[in-house]
Amino acid sequence: MTQESKQTPLPKLPDVCVRCATCTAACPVSRVTPRFPGPKQAGPGAQRFRSVAEASVDDWIELCTGCRLCDTVCPAGVPISELNLMAKAKFLDERGRTFRDWLLVRSDRFGELAARFSKIVNPLMKKKIVRYLLDVLLGIDHRQTLPPYEYPTFRRWFRDRPARKGGGPEVAYFHGCFTNTNETDVGKASVLILEAHGRTVIVPPQHCCGIPRLGVGDLRGAGEMGRRNVDSLLRTVRGVDIVFSSTSCGLMMRHEYGPLLHLPGAEELAGRLFDICEYLLSIHEAGKSAVTFHPVSMKAAYFAPCHLRSLNIGLPALELLRRVPGLDISLLEAECCGLGGLYGFKKEKFSISEEIGKDLTEAVTRMKPEIILTDCEGCRMQIRHLTGLKVLHPVQLLRDALERRGICGP
Amino acid sequence: MKRFDLIVIGTGLAGLTAARTAIGMGAKVLIAGRGMGAITLFGNSVDLLGEIPPGREMAEGMASWISTHPGHPYARTGWEGIEKAVAAFRELFPPPYSFAACGRGNSLLPTGAGTMRPTWLLPVTMAAGASMTPPETLIVGFRGFKDFQGDTVSLHLKCRGVNLPLPRYGLEGVTAPALARLMDEAFFRERLGESIRQQMAGEQFIGLPAVLGLYDPATALKTLEAITGARVFEIPMLPPSIPGTRIFHRFREELIGKRADFRIGHPVSGVAVKDGRCRAIRIPNPPLVAEYHADRFILATGRFLGGGLRAKMDRIVEPLFDIPILQPGERGEWFGERFFDPEAHPIHRAGVMTNADLLPVDAAGQAVLANVWVAGSILAHHQAIEEKSREGIDIATGFLAAKRALAS
Repeated sequence: MTQESKQTPLPKLPDVCVRCATCTAACPVSRVTPRFPGPKQAGPGAQRFRSVAEASVDDWIELCTGCRLCDTVCPAGVPISELNLMAKAKFLDERGRTFRDWLLVRSDRFGELAARFSKIVNPLMKKKIVRYLLDVLLGIDHRQTLPPYEYPTFRRWFRDRPARKGGGPEVAYFHGCFTNTNETDVGKASVLILEAHGRTVIVPPQHCCGIPRLGVGDLRGAGEMGRRNVDSLLRTVRGVDIVFSSTSCGLMMRHEYGPLLHLPGAEELAGRLFDICEYLLSIHEAGKSAVTFHPVSMKAAYFAPCHLRSLNIGLPALELLRRVPGLDISLLEAECCGLGGLYGFKKEKFSISEEIGKDLTEAVTRMKPEIILTDCEGCRMQIRHLTGLKVLHPVQLLRDALERRGICGP
Repeated sequence: MKRFDLIVIGTGLAGLTAARTAIGMGAKVLIAGRGMGAITLFGNSVDLLGEIPPGREMAEGMASWISTHPGHPYARTGWEGIEKAVAAFRELFPPPYSFAACGRGNSLLPTGAGTMRPTWLLPVTMAAGASMTPPETLIVGFRGFKDFQGDTVSLHLKCRGVNLPLPRYGLEGVTAPALARLMDEAFFRERLGESIRQQMAGEQFIGLPAVLGLYDPATALKTLEAITGARVFEIPMLPPSIPGTRIFHRFREELIGKRADFRIGHPVSGVAVKDGRCRAIRIPNPPLVAEYHADRFILATGRFLGGGLRAKMDRIVEPLFDIPILQPGERGEWFGERFFDPEAHPIHRAGVMTNADLLPVDAAGQAVLANVWVAGSILAHHQAIEEKSREGIDIATGFLAAKRALAS
């Protein structure tokens, strides 16, 4: 007999909120600035006063980073971050978005081009005068480190590499924009580690997942990006599992395409999508892996990104890293890195982002690791910026432990 | 599909205690629940049984109380079981942020409502509150922090109180977590200590809202005591509870360090039961549903706030397994006449009935599930609110449920 409790799905109403304020305890933004009233007030609290017919008065809603930590701690099942996102979308629809926001969410468009000319673009992005102009004209804060571009891109590297023999079961890899043009080694490591586990990797055509557009409340734009991905992924890889190495891209595709954006085919796609460490760990746990790792003697910290916690799959990367002999690995006790994707690059939000990051820096100081591992590119950028330490994706370390070579990467 | 030795449903103190006990016995454990659990709402000190008067020896008082309450969850664990479980809890909190009893019996702890509440174990940051005397005490609240009014609390406690400006601009409407975070900062707490010192008129004790830092409360306490020359104590107040969050964080750190798996984003939506045995639980994360399998399960989902019990029009139900519930009579009989009735509201006694091993039973005493043990406030026959026994029940039954489950 199978019992399913007779609960109807929770209505997306603020009234299921019991006002317990647990979300306020978890919110990284309201903890550092009283300008944002916190998830309880901004979400279910203010929702009671919002009306479709009237103009938004809650300009602070823009300060929500969309980390979704409130959702993960809420004991009543209130869709807090969704209430916030809808309010943000309405507010920005009315006020209009800046040219900067228009530009930033389209970084996937000019990424390939910037990578092609990375020899010129990278030094330019470091020039004080350029940063000053970006700051004054666009509002991209000059204190935030901009990620350099890399060439050849991941896709080009994958296309040009010699054909693999082997012929194990196929798995498709969703690399995401950032891996393709700014952190190609994450892509290479993902491919190599999957191949080491006996998989044949295919890299299907793909587009930006659309989460940057969600960040500026552009639901229609995000939906368009999503539709292109669902169509192309379902067409090219039907029946094959897809792994992602970016937890934010993964969260967007797996849990926002369907429930939030109602894209046709989203549910079928979601059932095929796996976080890369979740996927690898399941191979190990099924006892089907012959892969052993060489010792890596290092003190390492693992940081669990907010969007990984929203996936609610536990900490598969930590579990995998524990299988590397000699690696002294523990969880970094911090809630959020503070970058919030594009949030931390915006001039009016940079100081909030950096203040949130301070708690993480403190945790790193207490722990004194030599290296930090985390699944999200945003977290990696921010933690490098804050601590100056070496920060890698877990698969990069796993790949290096496979090959018995020094730990590389930035 | 993932397989575990034990799945604990519920992330409150009972669930966390059960998970830790099982991990200590070498089990592979999954802990699943809705959000962070009720401990972040009310967790402060450890209550065992408020009605044992301060001054009476706890061991002796408890033993005789248990003998007159044979249906109570404490009767399942016995005083020995409580002692063992509480000792294990204390081991999890080594100094500097440790828990201890002040003397051999209950202590009276000042609260944010201006009352004195009997409790058993106090964290180091609240210990001085148990020995404060009103004429020697200054209660300090902060302007802009609405959850704690120093002057109101002091009025009830009959001591002097002030509401001080915080030593930083732009903190109007500040929340408890934001204040706690600032208290982790050396410069901030030093400035605050200095402004408290200037307000003192020879007081020996200083009471503050319970926001003395999330990560380093013991150092915050030491700093403030050094600057003011008085003994400083935290006063429990409205949710979210910072001391409760500290307890949750410590458990989480310990459990993840020992390889327990957490799933706390979404509530368990369904269970698979066959021939009186639970096989699996399901956790949805739309559009997907994950299934987790185990040999044993512990149900520690709390009462109405935690979602462990639900009130229908005519009866109380346990929504996950539909376990029989001890009913508090007809709906009209659920509540007493007055809100603060000294006699507990009958609804508070409702809950899951169990046998001596904490397996759920029906009204005839027959076990209804063979591999689901029940722990914490969801159990019947207690009145945790009136008795002031909440943490004691959580810790003692969480501990026992894990022992019984793994012995099977």
